[in-house]
Amino acid sequence: MKTELSPRVKVALYGLMSVLLIPFVFPTWWMVTSSVKPISDIFAFPPDLWPRRFDWTTYGKVFELQPFAQQYWNSAYIAAVVTLGTMVFSSMAGYAFARIKFPGANLLFTIVLLGLLIPSEVTIVPLFQMFLKWGMINTHWPLILVPIFGAPSVFATFVMRQFFIALPGELEEAARVDGLGRFKIFWIIALPLAKPALGAVAIFTFLHSWNLYLEPIVFISSRNMFTLPQALTQFTDAYGGAMWNIQMAAATMTALPVLAVFIIAQKQFVEGLAHTGLKG
Amino acid sequence: MAPVTLKHVKKSYGDASVIHGVDIDIADGEFVVLVGPSGCGKSTLLRMIAGLETITDGEVSIGSRVVNDLDPKDRDIAMVFQNYALYPHMTVETNMGFSLEHRGASKAEIAERVRWAAGILGLEPLLKRYPRQLSGGQRQRVAMGRAIVRNPQVFLFDEPLSNLDAKLRVVMRGEIKSLHQRLGVTTVYVTHDQIEAMTMADKIVVMNAGKVEQIGAPLDLYDRPANQFVASFIGSPSMNFIGGKITADGFVGAGVTLPLPAGVIGENAVYGIRPEHFELSSDGLPATVLLVEPMGSETQVTMTLGEHQIIGVFRERVQAKPGSTITIKPDIANIHLFDASTGLRIN
Repeated sequence: MKTELSPRVKVALYGLMSVLLIPFVFPTWWMVTSSVKPISDIFAFPPDLWPRRFDWTTYGKVFELQPFAQQYWNSAYIAAVVTLGTMVFSSMAGYAFARIKFPGANLLFTIVLLGLLIPSEVTIVPLFQMFLKWGMINTHWPLILVPIFGAPSVFATFVMRQFFIALPGELEEAARVDGLGRFKIFWIIALPLAKPALGAVAIFTFLHSWNLYLEPIVFISSRNMFTLPQALTQFTDAYGGAMWNIQMAAATMTALPVLAVFIIAQKQFVEGLAHTGLKG
Repeated sequence: MAPVTLKHVKKSYGDASVIHGVDIDIADGEFVVLVGPSGCGKSTLLRMIAGLETITDGEVSIGSRVVNDLDPKDRDIAMVFQNYALYPHMTVETNMGFSLEHRGASKAEIAERVRWAAGILGLEPLLKRYPRQLSGGQRQRVAMGRAIVRNPQVFLFDEPLSNLDAKLRVVMRGEIKSLHQRLGVTTVYVTHDQIEAMTMADKIVVMNAGKVEQIGAPLDLYDRPANQFVASFIGSPSMNFIGGKITADGFVGAGVTLPLPAGVIGENAVYGIRPEHFELSSDGLPATVLLVEPMGSETQVTMTLGEHQIIGVFRERVQAKPGSTITIKPDIANIHLFDASTGLRIN
């Protein structure tokens, strides 16, 4: 039953939440304000929460110092392909593990899940050797293939499997009586009902790909091929010192799609995880 | 419409046998109810007819075809599920036309059939709604609409009313029955509710532990149950059973001797009598009242007769208090005797 809180408790609660919000909001606030400060103001003491002077040229310089538009496009299309690929593979694999009875299904699923326990740092060298052999170094293929067939996809498969397990079996049986085969049941009945879970998978896969850092610095060496996290480290002066305000401008632009995705899809994300029983 | 025949049908899961060789003949257009307690195998049997479960042994025929190896879609059946199984992301109209669409029917034909089915079930105002926007009864009606729209040879119902409240269940019971009378399609209906079975069926199949206990018309089962299980399952309140011996003086139970019809032979037996087959009579047997439950049209009295606890249902308004004694007389034309060891009927 929903109980109405007294105004005093409400004020206290909102006060507490506002205090707790500070450590989460402050880094973003610092990033955005630093992006429009002259570099000398960034190190002013005491620090300025609001810029004393605004320098908007930092945003233009981001594009002068790096092929930033190209890098932006690289990150965007790689994240899109990875997201789509993961949605396709994880939904099919999740459905198969949840609804198709075959010998050793649980053992196989456990083996797949065990992949999550292996840190990406452990597999990066063998992967490098493999992609070198395949002639894919300094291409975007490793950044697409590794997440689609790696840990993010395993997690996505787990999420999808949990969703499909909860889908009433009678729906599939009704579809069988109505004349559908296995693939059509998946495509016409199960998949449209899995929208919340698919939404959650899409969001975290997109974010994972967008923020991927280790793999790009290992597999990509030319600036035009860089993705955004890799490009962010490259805003340095002739002496190797960081050009903080320009870097913060680039970081702000990098964070925009992430913020947009969260604001637009946060409800779906929470619903999706709730459906899979992952939400606490 | 088509007859359905089950010949020595068996089902096992590994070593566990759940259906032990069932033979049932269902005539064309007949309404047959499979009834029995939970876990007796009635739903499994229905799903075997539907093709949703494989058949371990035996033969299932629909019409002149043996359908053992046919997919559900090729059996020309329609099924109504316990939880309705409506596709949540489709409107009522799409749900109803779904099977026709996937069997290659034209849009015009689908629209006409959906309109026809919606007309019969009063679903026209709901066609554009989604299942989540419907009440339980409406969903049930849509599930039936989805079944009838295709004009199948056989309808299969798997406990379709068990999720409805008591009042709605009575209404829907009547609707299903009248739908059957109107369409005349062979129907197999599974329930654990013996009242549903009694009121709807042309023929009842009573099942227990994977076996058929008795097949017959509702009143035949009620009046002449073949064994003690059927006698106890059919009828509410349940039949009273008194264990004892058949003697020349009558049936001797613990602390009571009950009258028997002439010519009954046997030894150790169980005396069965339905609650409504006792009458209040001054020259009857003394019974101590434990509980009086007035129902309005009748009075249900729980009492002890000798050392046996029994229930009597009387048309009269019994005013007795718990602990008091009333005298009751069994109607010997309506007693049932069962063998004490096999449970089979002996009179």
